[in-house]
Amino acid sequence: MTTTEDVTTPAGSSPPASPRIKPPKSNRRLRLGERTAPYLLLLPALVAILVLLGWPTLQLIGISFRKLDLRELVSGEMVWVGFENFSEILSDPEFWEITVRTLVFTAAVVLTTLLLALFMALLMRHLNPVVRVILQVALILAWATPVLATTTVFQWIFDQQYGILNKTLAKLGFDGFIGHSWFSTGPSTLTVIGLLVVWQAVPFVAFTLYAGLLGVPKEQYEAAGIDGANAWQAFWAVSWPAIRPILTMVTFLSVLWDFKLFAQVWAIRQGGPDGASTTLPVYMYLKGLAGNHFGLAATAALLMMLVLILLTARYVQLLVRTKEADLS
Amino acid sequence: MKRWLKMTAGAAAITLATAGCAGSGSGDSTNSSAPASNGTLTVWLMTGTAPETLTNSLHKEFEDAHPGVKIKYEIQQWNGIQQKLTTSLASDNPPDVIELGNTQTPAFANQNVLADLSSNVADFNGAQWLQGLKASGEYDGKTYGVPFYAANREVIYRKDMFEQAGITATPKTRAEWLDAITKLKAKFGSDPDFQAVYHPGQNWYELLSYIWDEGGDIAQANGKSFKSTLDSPQAKAGLEFYKQLTEASGTKAPKDADEATPQQAGIYGAGKVAMMIGVPGEADTAAKTDPSIKEKSGAFPIPGKTAGKSAPVFLGGSNLVVPANSKNAAAAKDYIKLFSTPKYQTELAKAGYVPGTSTDVSALDANPLTKVMAEASKNGRAVPASPKWGDVESGQNPIKDMLTAYLTGTKSLDQATADANAALDKLIGG
Repeated sequence: MTTTEDVTTPAGSSPPASPRIKPPKSNRRLRLGERTAPYLLLLPALVAILVLLGWPTLQLIGISFRKLDLRELVSGEMVWVGFENFSEILSDPEFWEITVRTLVFTAAVVLTTLLLALFMALLMRHLNPVVRVILQVALILAWATPVLATTTVFQWIFDQQYGILNKTLAKLGFDGFIGHSWFSTGPSTLTVIGLLVVWQAVPFVAFTLYAGLLGVPKEQYEAAGIDGANAWQAFWAVSWPAIRPILTMVTFLSVLWDFKLFAQVWAIRQGGPDGASTTLPVYMYLKGLAGNHFGLAATAALLMMLVLILLTARYVQLLVRTKEADLS
Repeated sequence: MKRWLKMTAGAAAITLATAGCAGSGSGDSTNSSAPASNGTLTVWLMTGTAPETLTNSLHKEFEDAHPGVKIKYEIQQWNGIQQKLTTSLASDNPPDVIELGNTQTPAFANQNVLADLSSNVADFNGAQWLQGLKASGEYDGKTYGVPFYAANREVIYRKDMFEQAGITATPKTRAEWLDAITKLKAKFGSDPDFQAVYHPGQNWYELLSYIWDEGGDIAQANGKSFKSTLDSPQAKAGLEFYKQLTEASGTKAPKDADEATPQQAGIYGAGKVAMMIGVPGEADTAAKTDPSIKEKSGAFPIPGKTAGKSAPVFLGGSNLVVPANSKNAAAAKDYIKLFSTPKYQTELAKAGYVPGTSTDVSALDANPLTKVMAEASKNGRAVPASPKWGDVESGQNPIKDMLTAYLTGTKSLDQATADANAALDKLIGG
């Protein structure tokens, strides 16, 4: 993805003001107040972020260098082990296998979500109002259903013996699906989990993109039409520039959400069969909470955070560089 | 928008989004119980264990004998209990008496979070303790857990179906069992929904019976360390019989789930299943689907390999423990002492459990299902008393994975057992 050349004046410099409405020269103290006001206004939020997020993050880093099992937790003992937790996890071949699996899974889920959501958003623009409202209500309902409720429904749908999917497929003549287990291999299990996640993620992304599309004035499409653009060309010329920054943002958010997915993966098959659908958050749970080794869990969490930062560094960069006009 | 503002926004977004990892890493469940004053004895029992009539009269008697002490009784759910226990045991004001699953007890004892009850064994009717549970409450020569109750698996069957299929006596050996299945299939096999035995692929407590019956075990203790023995010829033979039974039974149960997903009692209750392997209480659950099913049901012990001896069974159950941080340890011990008296142990037996601190199981005879269970419990055994056993059950259980891999044919018998053996060693070995 490339950024457009920055053609406007550099951020920070104010446009030349009309001499007529030039404010009267104020005294120094007021100017100081004016200059510090925005910082002061930001301060409460900054303090809140530091207290609520910075402190736990520091603690997490501290714990990752400690041996903290239930025994230490109860007695309050501090046992520093240096990089022992890190070397234990990093030398575990399973960790690397799971990291790669998590990355591939995240990429696939995010890509599917974005494509489907983009399609939905464009569809909403062209649908007749009644159909559109029905679609929107359906999307909202899918989004509003609690994660575990949706997960349970998916488990029923894909149930080997009593699931509606196998029964429907059998009725349609695909007899091979009678008693077919959708959870017999890792990739198959992850596909079902992926579908479940996409199902819940599409509504938010679709609405966000639709909101972006709504911001495009009708005249631009009319102009494109007059210039003889077909639907495809109109999309690239008018819609795409409008939603691209928003797409960047939702991609970024989706990567964050899907990478640290736990509830659905655990609820479906506990990372099974035979650990073949285990992702990093599940690995963290197994290492840490299932066995009360909180030091190891903290290390796993820290490593996950590192992977996530590496993964999204480009997007943060983009977000920071994005032109003012794109964000508004 | 200013550049630095965007930077802050970006930084905030990433911290917000990654904070989820930090949060789940440190465990965010909180202990909601009010600060315990000396006048309150907090008791945590699990859902579905002691019937309300028992606890009501027990608590009344206790409060009458201890003026000024009020019992705060809370019923906990099994689901997620490990995490809840971890946080509450680590707090300054833990509950005073806790029911702990017998497979969880060694792990907590090993972490020094339980009070040492060794000097109170005699008070708690120690001579009468159920042997299978006694071991699970002991660690390093000390006693931390008092046996509470046990339940074990048996074969629950439909008397009417057996009769119609011409089976006159309940199977005593594996061969007779398979023979009964053949007869049932001959009689009812025309119904496509019929299952002679509902037999899910991951009922690993049942598998234990076959492995023990072959003379094997899942792990062997050597002093304090454990070495898994899932690749032994005996374990393999147990696994082979599990597969043989699955194939003979004509079951439609999933090979990659246990008896709880879906709940086998509900499927048995639907009336198309002749047998299931479960605890007596599951017949009551089945009766919720069809009230007449309880009358039609009987039970027999899991048949053994050879005649005259049923297979050993896994003794599932609970212990009562006192947290090391308890402020009311003395009252907590009095509470357990009262619970250990024959009066309440008999009540427990009437409710369908094998009582932990009494050998008097005559109350179980009233119900044919619990009578069979009480008989079989004499041949009851427990999982290896490894302090790390909790990892096996709260994480990914290699024994379940082994069963699924072998039953579905993903792995050969040798491969499945070798992989599971290595995985189990990683969890409890050393």
